[in-house]
Amino acid sequence: MSAGRLERKPLLAVAVTVAFFAWLYLPIVAVALFSFNSAKSLSVFSGFSTRWYSDFFSNSALLESLSASLRIATVAALGSLVLGTMLALGLERITSRPARAVGAVTLMPLVTPEIVTGVAALLLFTGVGLKLSLSTVTLAEITFSIAYVTVIVRGRLGSMSPEVEEAARDLGCTPWQALRLVTLPALFPALLGSGLLVFALVFDDFVLAFFTTGVDPQPLPVRIYSSIRFGISPAINAVGTLMLLVSGLLIVAALLLPRLFNRKTSSLDLITGGERR
Amino acid sequence: MVPTAWMVAFFVSSMLVVVLLSFGHTQADGQPVFGTTPANFAALWDPVYLELFLRSLGYALATVVLSVAVAYPVAYAIALHGGRYKNALIAAIVVPFFASYLIRMYAWKALLSDEGLVNSGLRKTGLSDGIAFLNTPWAVVGGLVYGFVVFMILPVYASLERMDVSLIEAGKDLYHGPLRTFVTVTIPATRAGLYGGMLLVFLPALGDFVSAQLLGGPRTYMIGNLIQQQFAEGQNWPLGSAMTVAMMGALTVLMVVYLRATTTRTRERS
Amino acid sequence: MTGAVPSATRRSLLKGGLAAGAVAGFAGCGYVPSKTKPTESPLPKSAKSRVDGDLVYFNWADYLDPGVLKGFQEEYGVKVIESNFDSMEGMYAKINAGNQYDITFPIAKWVAKMRREGKLRAIDKDQLSNAEQVYYSGSYFNDPWYDAKSAVSVPFTVYKTGVGWRTDKIDTMTGSWNDLWNEQGAGHIFTLDDQDEALAMAALLLGYDVNTAKASQLDEIKKLLISQKKYLRGYSSDDVNNMSGGDAWIHHMWSGDFLYVREALAKKKTDYDFEAPKEGTPINSDAYAIPANAKHPGTAMLFIDWLLRPENAVKNIQYLYYPFPVKDAVAAFNDLAKDVPDADLDVKDLENPDVFRLLPADQVQARAAVWTEVKAS
Repeated sequence: MSAGRLERKPLLAVAVTVAFFAWLYLPIVAVALFSFNSAKSLSVFSGFSTRWYSDFFSNSALLESLSASLRIATVAALGSLVLGTMLALGLERITSRPARAVGAVTLMPLVTPEIVTGVAALLLFTGVGLKLSLSTVTLAEITFSIAYVTVIVRGRLGSMSPEVEEAARDLGCTPWQALRLVTLPALFPALLGSGLLVFALVFDDFVLAFFTTGVDPQPLPVRIYSSIRFGISPAINAVGTLMLLVSGLLIVAALLLPRLFNRKTSSLDLITGGERR
Repeated sequence: MVPTAWMVAFFVSSMLVVVLLSFGHTQADGQPVFGTTPANFAALWDPVYLELFLRSLGYALATVVLSVAVAYPVAYAIALHGGRYKNALIAAIVVPFFASYLIRMYAWKALLSDEGLVNSGLRKTGLSDGIAFLNTPWAVVGGLVYGFVVFMILPVYASLERMDVSLIEAGKDLYHGPLRTFVTVTIPATRAGLYGGMLLVFLPALGDFVSAQLLGGPRTYMIGNLIQQQFAEGQNWPLGSAMTVAMMGALTVLMVVYLRATTTRTRERS
Repeated sequence: MTGAVPSATRRSLLKGGLAAGAVAGFAGCGYVPSKTKPTESPLPKSAKSRVDGDLVYFNWADYLDPGVLKGFQEEYGVKVIESNFDSMEGMYAKINAGNQYDITFPIAKWVAKMRREGKLRAIDKDQLSNAEQVYYSGSYFNDPWYDAKSAVSVPFTVYKTGVGWRTDKIDTMTGSWNDLWNEQGAGHIFTLDDQDEALAMAALLLGYDVNTAKASQLDEIKKLLISQKKYLRGYSSDDVNNMSGGDAWIHHMWSGDFLYVREALAKKKTDYDFEAPKEGTPINSDAYAIPANAKHPGTAMLFIDWLLRPENAVKNIQYLYYPFPVKDAVAAFNDLAKDVPDADLDVKDLENPDVFRLLPADQVQARAAVWTEVKAS
């Protein structure tokens, strides 16, 4: 239900909003600007040059890192989407004590510092003899992203009335059909929102990724994080700008997708329950 | 449910590893070893750690307060006055969040440095002789707000969008003032979003280490930095694990209290 | 030794942990000693220099001239697959976990540690055509303190830690570590965010050994460092950007980073100067090493040889501003450091006893506890 218009525009709110956008985008603009800097400085702009981009595109290591990050994020988003939704659906049905305990446990990843989950995942993998690789990274990322999906989907489920699905079953649908034709479509905004969120979080993750990568090309953020302590090189600005472009395009695509399916619901119903993500 | 149960078991067992390790110690050659000694927890009773925890709590709370102060005007302006640009505006808020958190924070470091862009601008326009923004608690909190305010704006926006606007109109008639209306009408009506946002901002802010590391000063050390140090230079994984268990214990208590207090959050939606 | 060793370690760790949980009365026990005890067994043999696959490379970020890496790939027709770490502890954890890297870059004391634990392969000098660039007669590196007879490592860079400052802001420097407490610079002073470096700086000022773990000495060090906080702007290892961004007027910094700021970034070079304090300066070095479980050690040997070629060493020196002890490239470094003699390094410096040595875990933890208290208070 969208809000109506109010008569007078609240100047304060609008002013704050404008200031907010300026503040939000200032570093983005700086990063993009200095990615075209001809010198290696982060404070003085000496002239326009695309050398950092040509360095990036001719540097197969960075390109492979980017590709590794994209792959991990995509698989992790899909994986946690499936598992998180299953968990949410399951938890919604069962209201017993054990189920609520499980629900609480799934929230723990939000609380735990990443370095601890990283070390724990590392010890666990090596303890059971798994060799570290991009697959182990993906496995770890999925595990720790399920929480976000579960929370968002549960929120949406909570606002849906179960009668529609029951009605579908009364009309002769199997539970699976009811799920496919009624529940999942209604969940679409939550699925899209949480999928995008997990993609963004995993794409940008550095701590967990560091501890669980093997010798394959490392995800991009691990590369960035390794330089952070001793200072970033402007080449990283090119990387950042590219990451921004890639994600920007993805969001635009996600915005337009529902239009393709003729949906009226705003695909930006990201937080459908109005509660935590 | 089976694959889900397996994943949960995987998560639970990795957490179990942390708990087991917290009772361990480090061998002479630096290898962490499981054990049954509570020595690490005993070591945590140092007032230094308590002070650190309180400081981190303080920063996280400040982050929440500032996020709320920013989120409401922004969400309000977009939800109620955005018109057909609403979706684009929200997208414009979310997109930067997808660019690397590290790079954006580092960009702030470059921008706010004494001879960086912001100070150069201030000097050129004669507004100021230059302000030492960096390496202060405010820089750290500013960084935290920058990183996590999105998690507040989105839930509040979603709540505002669902709200019946006529309530505000009625409130204005009843309460004769925008501020009172805001407090007595808008906030309660959007409390679902508010509570969710507060949690989602507070938790990661508390455990953050990047902001303090990049933008902080000599007295802004946070819990996240402390724990990270144990796993890095300190070479004391068992102690780091004990700190984590203690912190998670404290947070769980806080969360339970918080959830109890806010469970009047309803399931009905307008 | 293969990668099976570390996995077995972790497996027994887990089993031990479960056993410990079951046998509650065994305080401090419940774990089978790992195979990382010091071993006297012979070192894993050196590989021959030949292409045996792509190079799996594990190093700090931005630590080699990209042109040198590219050149290697073109010359030998192999790929370089790069992974980065941000700390020695991280590097060690990944190798311990069983990841098979072909070449890595440990700091001196970590070479000692990994050699002792049998984690590094021998490097046969006869396989390196450029060996005499580093191992000429009389060279310190024929028998460095961290690797007897240089069996498992080849030196990479050497550096010292001192104090860099802005001559246009400060004119009261005294050539001592006390300069990090300088009144004129109060509020614009940085100390390195590095446990060993910070503790060493205070230790040297007090006249103690840089590796000290004596409780009374550590206590004094702690008090000294805490007394610095009111002058300090922050603890940061990003000395390059702190100095070039103007936030730092006085910085506890590494010699190579200083040269980089002054020679490559500074608008006015004479605004910057560096001193090697009279109480002593820590000297550190790092090296190439080939892990025992490397899958392509032959390619790694070729890579080391490639890096020892003077023209490549010169490129790296000009990229990093750190000296490489490659005989025919030393002149290039002296050239970079000619205006700042205190940042220059020569062979005599290597005999310096102020190096960061390998310490047993309880001493590391005593030092870490002090560092934590300094940072947290």
